[in-house]
Amino acid sequence: MRTLKLVLATALLVAPPVVAQNRPITVTGVRGLTFGTVFPGVRRVILKTDPSNSAQFDITGVKNNQLLLTFTLPASMTGPAGATMPLSFGASDAGYSQSQSIGSQVTFDPRTSFIASTLNQQGRGSVFLGGTANPTTNQRAGSYTATITLTVAYYP
Amino acid sequence: MMRRWLSVALMAGAVPLVAQGVMIAPTAIVMDHRTRSGNVTLYNPGNEPVEVRISSFFGYWTTDSTGALSLHEGTAADSAAPSAAGWIQAFPRRLTVAPLERQTIRLLATPPAGLPDGEYWMRLVFEAKAGAVPVSGVADTSKIVVGLQLQMRTIIGVAYRKGSVHTGVAVSNLRARPVDDSVEVRVRLERQGNAAFVGTVKWTVTDSAGKTLGELASPIGVYFRLEPRYRVPVGVLPRGRYWVKVEANTDRADPEGILRAPAVRDSLALVVP
Repeated sequence: MRTLKLVLATALLVAPPVVAQNRPITVTGVRGLTFGTVFPGVRRVILKTDPSNSAQFDITGVKNNQLLLTFTLPASMTGPAGATMPLSFGASDAGYSQSQSIGSQVTFDPRTSFIASTLNQQGRGSVFLGGTANPTTNQRAGSYTATITLTVAYYP
Repeated sequence: MMRRWLSVALMAGAVPLVAQGVMIAPTAIVMDHRTRSGNVTLYNPGNEPVEVRISSFFGYWTTDSTGALSLHEGTAADSAAPSAAGWIQAFPRRLTVAPLERQTIRLLATPPAGLPDGEYWMRLVFEAKAGAVPVSGVADTSKIVVGLQLQMRTIIGVAYRKGSVHTGVAVSNLRARPVDDSVEVRVRLERQGNAAFVGTVKWTVTDSAGKTLGELASPIGVYFRLEPRYRVPVGVLPRGRYWVKVEANTDRADPEGILRAPAVRDSLALVVP
């Protein structure tokens, strides 16, 4: 442990030789996937083209570069007193837009990885996600939530 | 260069964001055996603190049977692979980046004694969790209100170089076929030397008179072997004879630290009956 601390202290004093210096990457969660108020037994579908309720992630990086996009999607949401509500995603629930326009998306299946062919000339792109909430007929009232994770791997 | 981007980010910092991630630079890191250290800068352009967790794994890019790219995560079968994941550490591994502030992550290598010359790889994972996305709707406990929060993970590559390091690529098994208004092309790319071949693959489709009908350039990283599939847009090809040409080179400005190697070319005739 003492050796490790010494190595760390030494490293802090030495200018790090980072050879690579290029444009940074940023992945931003712009908007969460929101189903709003739902009713027991009534499915609520949010399309990836829904400008208010679909999830949106913005990505900035090096122009014309490729990214591998992978979602980690919850199968259910957790609510009051541990109650759960099933959640599902279909093959056309995700989209990638090089122009960052919600009206111009390349559809992909959020359950599998997707190669975003390129960020645009400004080094930008957006990912959109829809989904379906499936409340049961005796769904307990209250707020339900879960976490969606988007993993962006920079190629190469 | 980094300072310039951070300045731009500071100016853009007023944009309201719901679940801000952090800016990560650079997007590829090359460390060398002489100094055994490196760093990554995180910057939070948002107006809420962002909690960041950092982890690492051994991984490299590969293609499946259809030519689709994927990031292969190391397994026990990769025990002989050039992994640096066991001996490069990031400090700190967990931190909170305050709004409009930046922090530096140090990378320290403690390679095993007798490490052979070559390039060793690792992937760094930055997991950012920002302020919760509010569940919209009214605070009425008689209703069912549903919303999902967002989390972002960003993966970048780290290469550690020791001693004599060189790379190249061999091109083989070139094939092409017309599909709709494009030519679908595939090629086998096998890395030569002891380091990854990072560069660009360029495709050109010409007619029999040499007129270019379509071109495509794409970044490429060959760690062992790839057989990627591309579509070169050319329009619907009438009957005739065409040429498909491929070139793999290291002519890229980004990321810096690319190992240079001679360009490699191949071509084949494509006959549309």
